[in-house]
Amino acid sequence: MTKTAIQVDHIARVEGHGNVRVVIEDGAVKTVEMNVVEPARLFESMVRGRRFEEVPYIASRICGICSASHVVTDLLAIERIFGVAVSDRTRALRDLLVYGSYLQNHATHLFVFAAPDFLGHKSVFPLADADPVLFDQALALKALGNELCTKVGGRSVHPITAVVGGFTHEISADDYRALADKLEASLEFAEAAVDLFHSFEAPAIQTAGDLLAMGAPDRYAVSDSRMARFIDAALSFDCDDVDEAVEEYAVAHSAALLARVRSTGSPYFTGALARVNQSWQFLGRRAKMAAAKVGLRPPERNPFCNNVAQAVEIVDALERCADLCRRLADGDFEGTSEPAPFTVRAGHGVGFTEAPRGALFHELELDGEGRVKHASIITPTAQNVANLEADMRVLAEKLVADGASADEVRAEVEKLVRAYDPCLSCSVH
Amino acid sequence: MNSTSLFPPKRAGAPRVVVVGLASCFGCQLQITNAEAHLTEVLGQIDLRYWQLASSEPMPEEFDVAVVEGAVTTEESERLVRRLREKASCLIAVGACATTAGVPGMAAEGFIQRPGSVYDTVPDACGEMISPRSVGSVVDVDFEVRCCPIDSYDFVDVLQQALYGSNKTLGTATMCGSCKRNETGCFYRQGRLCLGLVTRAGCGARCVNLGRPCNGCAGLSPEANLPAARAACEAAGIPVADFDQALEMFNQTNPALRDVQ
Repeated sequence: MTKTAIQVDHIARVEGHGNVRVVIEDGAVKTVEMNVVEPARLFESMVRGRRFEEVPYIASRICGICSASHVVTDLLAIERIFGVAVSDRTRALRDLLVYGSYLQNHATHLFVFAAPDFLGHKSVFPLADADPVLFDQALALKALGNELCTKVGGRSVHPITAVVGGFTHEISADDYRALADKLEASLEFAEAAVDLFHSFEAPAIQTAGDLLAMGAPDRYAVSDSRMARFIDAALSFDCDDVDEAVEEYAVAHSAALLARVRSTGSPYFTGALARVNQSWQFLGRRAKMAAAKVGLRPPERNPFCNNVAQAVEIVDALERCADLCRRLADGDFEGTSEPAPFTVRAGHGVGFTEAPRGALFHELELDGEGRVKHASIITPTAQNVANLEADMRVLAEKLVADGASADEVRAEVEKLVRAYDPCLSCSVH
Repeated sequence: MNSTSLFPPKRAGAPRVVVVGLASCFGCQLQITNAEAHLTEVLGQIDLRYWQLASSEPMPEEFDVAVVEGAVTTEESERLVRRLREKASCLIAVGACATTAGVPGMAAEGFIQRPGSVYDTVPDACGEMISPRSVGSVVDVDFEVRCCPIDSYDFVDVLQQALYGSNKTLGTATMCGSCKRNETGCFYRQGRLCLGLVTRAGCGARCVNLGRPCNGCAGLSPEANLPAARAACEAAGIPVADFDQALEMFNQTNPALRDVQ
């Protein structure tokens, strides 16, 4: 009997701490585990008893890179409970904030975490000498995402200005126009990045599970629709019913709770690839062209294509944010972003956004004083872990059948983990 | 064991640096990368040997400077912090989690019940969980970079002090003075709670400048006068209990806070 155990402790170039374990016996893949060992900070217990104003501020600390998404999602849950209607202008600013985090996240993930896999480096740093133009442009794109989040949210990590009902601060019309110019100037590099990530060779596998993304009848929605959809199960649900649609469950080898579709028992993928499958027809003009050029269109079920989907979303975010900035400068949106007045009341509500890494749900129950009675947070990566394990098995079985060595299996499995862009600190929270 | 540089140092004899993340949101490590245009210059001053967030090179046995982000929340991370302290001649704690236990520290109160309130059965993968604490409460820390998240350039400034030496010390004044200099007015006049009264200055009142009260992320100032601050709350019609609860967000494990209460 031959037994090969592949163990990767503290997989690098992902956010958070995780180990990978694959056991192959006599040519059969026996065990595939994504061991999430991120320390549990127990956020759901921390917010209990605290006033609603503090909750987005605390929840944003779940994750540095998607802090804007956690804040907006919490605000949506609180506003659902209080019955706050925000202005179109506030909605536009929230879109900008969420898209800003897409730029930050996707640029960091693609160039700092994923690209070294394909360029034969252990980190992004050798790129500074090997391809200084690419290195500088990649960093500039990441910097632009930071700048957008800083201008709208007050800083690049953990936004300050977004509060219940609106924003406490806005930049000037000239600042918006200057930002729009910068965003448009980056489009060309972003389009080239789609081609670059498409050119990287990846194993041809199909994801094992379903796909989950926000849906809307007329747009590529990321922060302003309450409808979520499992694409394979053809199941749409209002985010208030997330507990009925999604089943969370615990396993011993992961500090993150895992998730599956309650009705079918299937694991599922959420993230850029699921969004592109759900809303491809509503991508912006240049993003759609860039996607079409490399053949990324639904149905696309290869999880490695999540990298290309993220690159396409960078193009989309740049176009969309430039447009939003110009319209904010021109006063195109109704209302002001001054926080709308509201009355504190008891209730239960769910906030839902598409964070950079996928569907994010915050469920809150508040008492009559606006203090948290119960909180439940379902992050994209927690939802993805079960599907990642299923895809790791698909990949390992294919590679073993093709006669790959243990080192090759290890390298490809690591690439797959990174293609999922896991945020393990989010997944445990 | 020989390890290799992740980024070739631009000067001979550059100190070997490792960057380690404990229980945190990783935001402060991101803020280091957010030095952007200056990043390669900063990295050129050091001999970066380990940074899990950025590279698949394993942690070396030998190094000179350890940069630690995050709070200590497991026995494993407590051992790691002690090992880092033994090996490194200089230890830099970055961010609220590492310097004050920060937001993870909120779970310190009644910690024993908390894991059971989130998990039906606590997974083995959680490790041996302990009540959250700052890095500085486990080992001696040479330098601190405060706030949640850190400011990228505060980190560069502190790293420079660590590399080249400096007599500069961390200020102890409270943030209130910053608002006076900035002439931004005061939330207490609107009857709104703000922790600038008792929080360490240094951020330039970033949140207040953008219309939000201070949440105290830099931690309690050694000069904080808590009884006077509570009296100020009462005078402004703000319940003292709200003030005390707000302080927990970044100071839950601060013994100074307990002693005064």
